[in-house]
Amino acid sequence: MTPMSAIDAQALAVRAVGLTEADEAEAVVISSDTALTRFAENRIHQNVTEHDTTVSIRAVLGTKNGSASTNRLDDESLAACAAAAVAAASASPADPEFPGLPEPRPVTVREDTLEPIGFGPVERAEAVRSIVEQSAIRGLVAAGGVALSTDTVAVANSHGVDVGSKVSTARATVLSSGEGAGTGWASHFTPSTVGFDPAAIGDEAATLALRTSSPSDLAPGDYTVVLAPEAVADILDFLGYVGLSARSYVEGRSFMSGRLGERILSDAITIVDDALSAESCGLSFDFEGQPKQRVALVDSGITCTPVTDSYWSARTGMPNTGHALPAPNSIGPLPRDMQIAPGDASLDSLIRSVQKGVYVTRFHYVNVEDPVPVTLTGMTRDGTFLIENGRLTAPLKNLRFTQSAIAALGKVHGVTEERRLFQTMLGSALVPGLLIDAWAFTGQTG
Amino acid sequence: MWDVVEAALDAAEFAGASYADVRVVTAREHSVSVADSRLDAAATHESSGIGVRVIADGSWGFASTSEPGTAAATAVARDAVAVARASALVARDPVRLAPVQAHIGTWIAPSERDPFTVPLEEKVELLLAADAAMKTVDAIKLTRATMGFYEVHKYFASTIGSRIEQRYTESGGGIVAYAIADGEVLTRSYPNAHGGDWAQGGYEVVEGFDLLANAPRVAEEAASLLGADPCPSGTMDLIIDGSQLGLQVHESVGHPTELDRVLGDEAAFAGTSFLRLEDLGTLQYGSEHVSITADATVRGSIGSYAFDDEGVPAQRDYLVKDGLLAGFLSSRESAPSIDRTSNGCMRADGWNRIPLIRMNTVSLEPGTWSLDDLIADTERGLYVETNNSWSIDDKRLNFQFACEIGWLIENGVKTRMVKSPNYTGITPRFWSSCDAVCSRDHWKVWGLPNCGKGEPMQVAHVAHGAAPARFRGVEVGVGR
Repeated sequence: MTPMSAIDAQALAVRAVGLTEADEAEAVVISSDTALTRFAENRIHQNVTEHDTTVSIRAVLGTKNGSASTNRLDDESLAACAAAAVAAASASPADPEFPGLPEPRPVTVREDTLEPIGFGPVERAEAVRSIVEQSAIRGLVAAGGVALSTDTVAVANSHGVDVGSKVSTARATVLSSGEGAGTGWASHFTPSTVGFDPAAIGDEAATLALRTSSPSDLAPGDYTVVLAPEAVADILDFLGYVGLSARSYVEGRSFMSGRLGERILSDAITIVDDALSAESCGLSFDFEGQPKQRVALVDSGITCTPVTDSYWSARTGMPNTGHALPAPNSIGPLPRDMQIAPGDASLDSLIRSVQKGVYVTRFHYVNVEDPVPVTLTGMTRDGTFLIENGRLTAPLKNLRFTQSAIAALGKVHGVTEERRLFQTMLGSALVPGLLIDAWAFTGQTG
Repeated sequence: MWDVVEAALDAAEFAGASYADVRVVTAREHSVSVADSRLDAAATHESSGIGVRVIADGSWGFASTSEPGTAAATAVARDAVAVARASALVARDPVRLAPVQAHIGTWIAPSERDPFTVPLEEKVELLLAADAAMKTVDAIKLTRATMGFYEVHKYFASTIGSRIEQRYTESGGGIVAYAIADGEVLTRSYPNAHGGDWAQGGYEVVEGFDLLANAPRVAEEAASLLGADPCPSGTMDLIIDGSQLGLQVHESVGHPTELDRVLGDEAAFAGTSFLRLEDLGTLQYGSEHVSITADATVRGSIGSYAFDDEGVPAQRDYLVKDGLLAGFLSSRESAPSIDRTSNGCMRADGWNRIPLIRMNTVSLEPGTWSLDDLIADTERGLYVETNNSWSIDDKRLNFQFACEIGWLIENGVKTRMVKSPNYTGITPRFWSSCDAVCSRDHWKVWGLPNCGKGEPMQVAHVAHGAAPARFRGVEVGVGR
């Protein structure tokens, strides 16, 4: 199976719009080719590929909306899908605030970089072998995955929107563990297989696993923390999910609600959403075919604006930033390509500056307890260390935290210059490491 | 459809597979949601395709496609064998499967009123009416009302001779009222949080919730939370309602007893388990009041089926019996590690995913108490209802749950309402502190259609039966 081209996906979207007998119509085509080789206990145990194309149609009658989608692409199935969308719109109540589907705007389409055809099951297996060997030679076992995906996305509507693009990613993860060792973690995420060094991440994880054996206890309390970039990515993701959408802003569920222009976070924190930056893997347009804007969400600690789509732009009077999700969207617009601006420190220098604190490699199973202060709870895992007198001294048992992200990001006193890109729940995050003055650990495992 | 299935099986065997199974799945979804007195979404989605899983050269391979027809089925079967041969490049022992008999049969779950033929106008009218009933309370600034429906039709065949066709419909829904003031967002849901409650069946499931009648109470409780005291911090006896206890069972019993987690297969993503193979029959998981079953035969539960996605018949099995670890959720590949055959827990999230070990209806068996008697028997405690947030570590030991609402219990009487209660614990210590479980009169199966596991992420529809139960000396009000 080969990925659908952007031109073919656009033609399919335009065809679907043409089949939809409504006042306005929109079609989104998402064609995905994914391959994932998973390993555990130093052997491949799951190895899967998938090819799928879905067409989603939104029909508009006056201000009434209805949606339907299908992965059957023959004329009869597409016509039935269009008819289902029209029927849904017909039976829906009017929404006087619906502004209509957006008009076309210029979109800069990103060049596709990944060539997954040259990275098939044998190449994935060889990559896994290189990762696993780093654990095996140390008497450890490795688990993780090597994944490649290509998504072709096209959006068309009855006002002339007609955009398409292909985006690809390569991702690998490795968890190393074993008798007499703790657990160590490393990961890779890029828009291309170029620069993917399986042995290097295998080595990083195995080295860390050996350093985390015999972990110590830590009494609950507030500690200075140095968060490695992957831990920061988790926190930023939840901040974006609950606090940086125009919908949560309007509904009073965001830390920004009624507080735009206030200094809420540390002046060391600047957050943007920028799908167009060179490091991003994101689409350059949203699921209404509107160009994604670079949005300053927080500038030197001062709240700037949430992201919008056509509906929430009209409701708020804010510009449309191009952050629509596929219709029907009951979540609202979301930032999917967030970045925290770099500082001038290194991770080592942040650690050296801490008298007593905790170093966190990454978090696990984070969830929201309170949306406005973005109070989160979750665990540390795979590389948590006590910092004493500027050095990582003892590995720690996994710790539970219960902490407001807003309060924590108000106490940032160091930001690394180096940033890393991670795949997140929302999309991706390009983040530095952070030094935070107070972080509430409320329990531990063991 | 069987011609497509047979073509894929033949192609897999011809390409060298020593074992193959094929699933052709068609799934329909329909969702309607209302937010703040306007229609938020009305949508249908259909997806169909074929997934072929094979063993070749002693290793697994899987490939899937949405392209219809026998030619695509043949091609995808060959792809699966090529993928398996690549897996064999980094292998250990050849895959060994526990035996299962070949089965030929059809199963259709009972359903009364087809939700896909109920007019959209009727659904919207019900949701808007419930929404309006919540809006009558001043402090309610935001409301949501949702309903959703799934219809799944799948064909399964394997090279051992099974040919199984299964169809079922699931329906669910719920309402949420948000009281928002001064930077506080307090939520009350019915009949459950995170999308409501779900069951196998037709539109009668949603009608049975009586969303409209419950809307005013839900709104009043959410509004009352604004003026309620914060949850106190400390250690006290905790009584957990059935819906929250269902999620507690899910996270701290269901997931850790998944045998693939115990064997390390999910280590890098969702994590492993604190349980070891040798704990079977010896580990004291909880007190003698704690018996937990895994049952794929509960009528009307979204955790029910006739055969799992390996063709293993549905079963009822003990995971914990009178406090002792009695079993694991297993598959044909994992069951030999405990010298058993599969108890039929392998399910896939659609045609494009491999089956994984998933919960079915994993339930805390009922005890003998009435809730009134249990509260009266509690000198100082906290009673909590309805999940708000959940988190648990990678070995399923250290958990923390937040609930929507709580009430203090003082001298055997439910007294002041408290907002944002949460509690934390360590799994076996927590279940060992259970000293009372309410009776079958209070016991109910809660449908949970959003259980995530695996990579690529799969979402399983599972369920949990539970009645309120009491746990002694639990840490509550964490970080408050």
